[in-house]
Amino acid sequence: MATLELIDIAKRFTKKVWGVKKMDLKVEDKEFIVLLGPSGCGKTTTMRMVAGLEEVTRGTILLDGKDITDIPPRDRGISMVFQNYAIWPHMTVYENIAFSLKLKKMSAAEIKERVEETAAMVKIGELLKRLPGQLSGGQQQRVALARALAVRPKLFLMDEPLSNLDAKLRVTMRTELKAIHQQTNATSIFVTHDQSEAMSMADRIVIMKDGEIVQIGTPDDVYFRSANMFVAGFIGTPPSNFFNVECEYTKENISLKHSHFTLEIDSMKFQELGKYRGKEIVLGVRPEDLLIVPESKAVFTAEVLVVEPQGSHQVVAINLKEIIVKMVVSAETKVKPGDKIGLGFNIKRIHFFDSKTENRIVFKGGV
Amino acid sequence: MVPYLLIAPVVIYYSIFWLFPVLNAIIESFRNVDGIWTVSNYIHIFKDPVFYQALSNTAFIVIFSVTIEFILAFGLALLINTKFRGSSMFLFLAMIPMSLPAVAVGAMWSSGLATRGWLNSFLMTFGFIDDASKILFLAGGKMSTMLLIIIIDAWTVIPFVMIILLAGLQGIGEDVREAGAIFGGTKFQILRKITIPMLKPTITTAMILRIISAIQIWLIIVLLYGFNRLPVLLEQVVLNYDQLGAEYFERIGLALSVLVAIIVSAAAVLYLKVSGSFEKEVKQDE
Amino acid sequence: MNNAIKRQLKRSAKRSSLYIVLAGIAFIIIFPIFFLFSFSFMSDYETYSEWPKPLIPSFKANFMIDKNSEGYHLLIFNKSEDKYMPFGPLVFTNSQEDIDNLRKFIKLQSNSKITSQKIMEYLKIVDSKSRVEFSIKKDLLANYILFFQVVNGAPKAVLNSLMVAGATILISLTIGGMGGYAFARYFFKGKNILKLSVLFVRMFPAVSLAIPMVIILAKMGLYDQPLGLSLVYSVGQISMSIWITASVFMAIPVSLEEAAMIFGTTRAGAFLHVTLPLALPGLAASAMYSFIGSWNEVIAAVVLTQFNPTFPVVVYKALVGSQGQINLITAGSVAQALPAIIFTLIIRKYIIQMWGGVKV
Repeated sequence: MATLELIDIAKRFTKKVWGVKKMDLKVEDKEFIVLLGPSGCGKTTTMRMVAGLEEVTRGTILLDGKDITDIPPRDRGISMVFQNYAIWPHMTVYENIAFSLKLKKMSAAEIKERVEETAAMVKIGELLKRLPGQLSGGQQQRVALARALAVRPKLFLMDEPLSNLDAKLRVTMRTELKAIHQQTNATSIFVTHDQSEAMSMADRIVIMKDGEIVQIGTPDDVYFRSANMFVAGFIGTPPSNFFNVECEYTKENISLKHSHFTLEIDSMKFQELGKYRGKEIVLGVRPEDLLIVPESKAVFTAEVLVVEPQGSHQVVAINLKEIIVKMVVSAETKVKPGDKIGLGFNIKRIHFFDSKTENRIVFKGGV
Repeated sequence: MVPYLLIAPVVIYYSIFWLFPVLNAIIESFRNVDGIWTVSNYIHIFKDPVFYQALSNTAFIVIFSVTIEFILAFGLALLINTKFRGSSMFLFLAMIPMSLPAVAVGAMWSSGLATRGWLNSFLMTFGFIDDASKILFLAGGKMSTMLLIIIIDAWTVIPFVMIILLAGLQGIGEDVREAGAIFGGTKFQILRKITIPMLKPTITTAMILRIISAIQIWLIIVLLYGFNRLPVLLEQVVLNYDQLGAEYFERIGLALSVLVAIIVSAAAVLYLKVSGSFEKEVKQDE
Repeated sequence: MNNAIKRQLKRSAKRSSLYIVLAGIAFIIIFPIFFLFSFSFMSDYETYSEWPKPLIPSFKANFMIDKNSEGYHLLIFNKSEDKYMPFGPLVFTNSQEDIDNLRKFIKLQSNSKITSQKIMEYLKIVDSKSRVEFSIKKDLLANYILFFQVVNGAPKAVLNSLMVAGATILISLTIGGMGGYAFARYFFKGKNILKLSVLFVRMFPAVSLAIPMVIILAKMGLYDQPLGLSLVYSVGQISMSIWITASVFMAIPVSLEEAAMIFGTTRAGAFLHVTLPLALPGLAASAMYSFIGSWNEVIAAVVLTQFNPTFPVVVYKALVGSQGQINLITAGSVAQALPAIIFTLIIRKYIIQMWGGVKV
């Protein structure tokens, strides 16, 4: 198993277009890293540079401490699952999986054993004689996976491997991939634009935007301690709600003034807001941290616009003139469009962002 | 119902303007000038030593020109497929020889290969040769004549083969080749084990089209050398029909055409058999 | 940093070797075509009296007139010999007839136009100064003009060729286009066989097909007629049109037609108002491809025409019968090749697209 280190990696496509502007990352042994970001953020380019399919413009890639920056893909000790599977249509499933083993001049018996073992792991043992054209999308995906696993790579790369599967299969494969990782313990990098996929699979998530890393952290880190408004707005379904509020100080409290409400918070706990006195900041609230409360205790009241039942819970949308606020409530809560409801905040879990830099305002108190 | 209505004109057209004349040609090749059924036209051909010369010359040209053209065209297609800057302009440049009329190609090379043509002028101007050592391009023996024809044919036809192969290459995703690189293949191994097998249907198309038209080569030979200097099959057809004029020779020309068609089909089937695409094609047709 | 420099060097080495190879290939392609064009601009004198022949046609011709006791002499500058050489009649006088002949000779041999008056003026200078040097701008298109003047029926042949091409486009695009649409939108029995028809059609030599066609067309009264020839050309062009138009129609999603049908038109209306306008560029490409095929064809045309030859036949006969000079024939060839090259430039994208869908 292996560690991977990217040192000051950059990729420039044309004079003006950068795929990756600057990237430093250290992946620990056995770790499952997910590169997450919107399309065009450079996550796939990063992975392709690690794979050796794309030359780096600048920087160094170390695998197990060894510089692999200028080594061809075949000598890097990596394997990869492609977005469109890229399994070879003219070879049987067996030949697909055995391809790299044959090139490594393994003995026929060894190859057979390895192929069958790997195929069993991804449950395609009975498909070995088929051609890819005769397989369903899900089965093709498994072949691609088996081919990548059979190599026993130091580093396992996956480029949006689940994006072509239907919704149900995608969730199943997620679980299986995670189980396989726990079994093989291969250091893995997984690229996706689906934040729920990232949350459910990653040891650590690397969130990218415009060719740069925005935040690296565990799923909990990026969800509960989002580094900036981009992350808070990207992670979570529905994403965070943002309110522009004015920060005013009273004797003991800070009062946050919004056009619809005024929220009073403890100035001791939120000392760091002192330098924003009289200025505008952004209040970020996760949908589940907006609470329905009796009108008497409510910070403000509003009218329900739409209710979206999800089975396990419901998403309630509220129209506050210029913005639509979304909240998650339990399935039992009885609300319907047009209802007037009282709303409160889970103060322990609210976040603040600098309205200019959009970065998170960090409190020593640890909120 | 609708598709058959749309297809009907094609079928009718082919019946009248292809199938009918073809059948006509076959029937007439078995009759003599007086309309009596006979195989004498064919016997005349088989007794003519020039026929066997034409046959062996054609076979030589086909085997070498198709092989050379395929290898060079494939290389060129791989090159253009790398999508360097200016590749689309280069592609157009490579297409020009294919769009040139056969007669223009003939004029171009006959003005070039003549003893006082542009090729010798070029070599002399740049001091490669002097007046005494002018190269007699068109006066060579049989072997150099055929070699020259193969080179000229390659110049004209490579773009056509290249286009077909390039279209096929573009149909193969980049990712299957990248997967080959990841899973341990060198560039050559990827070409041999992934690109070429996946391109096989396209290669078959290109090869069959080329074999068909290579067997029918004649015009460039006649434009450069005139009739009977380097006999090939179709040149003999034209010679019998167009040059000798009499109806007797016309029928021999027809019989020769039928033989050419049989040879072409046989070569195509042989290629499919040897390359192993035959079973697959039959399966697809069912 | 050291690595980065190494990488840069490797990359530029790779790129330069690629461009060197490309330049080599481009040279091989352009080299002969360049001379085809170059020859077509050369005068008879350049073509036949200079050795080695000039690689680039000159834009002007240099002359000298001098005089001795017998009369005037005309000399022309020969670039390969690098000196003035005798040109035309050894001796001439200043009679009107001699000067007129001289003018014609200069025009014919060196493609340069000069008036009799001008010659007279030069002769007067010679009388006073013993010799005169002068240069005349060459008429670069002289060979082209001459080709159409001297080669029998060349202008008429161009017209015939255009008519044949027009009729071929019309026939192959309608019949082939219908077939292509059926290929793109429907599944039917025999689709594969029909798709391979282009192979079957080509297996019987075109020239051999033309021979029985003589009788068939004669019966229809179409022998030696442009329409008759286009009927024969359409056999090959229809299958090409099926391939091109099928790929064109396939690129237009069925859902667009379905949407039009949902919003109230018939299938035919949907085709007419939605698919056809979108397919127009592709159909135009198919038409141009048919044009190139029919415009370039020579063999069947030789067989199927007598008094109404097409343009390629005229050039072919000039070349084979060697009744013309090579500079004239190259001019005819370039005139024939230009439309085909231009159309190829226009439709180059479609040529690739068309073969993309073709698999045996």
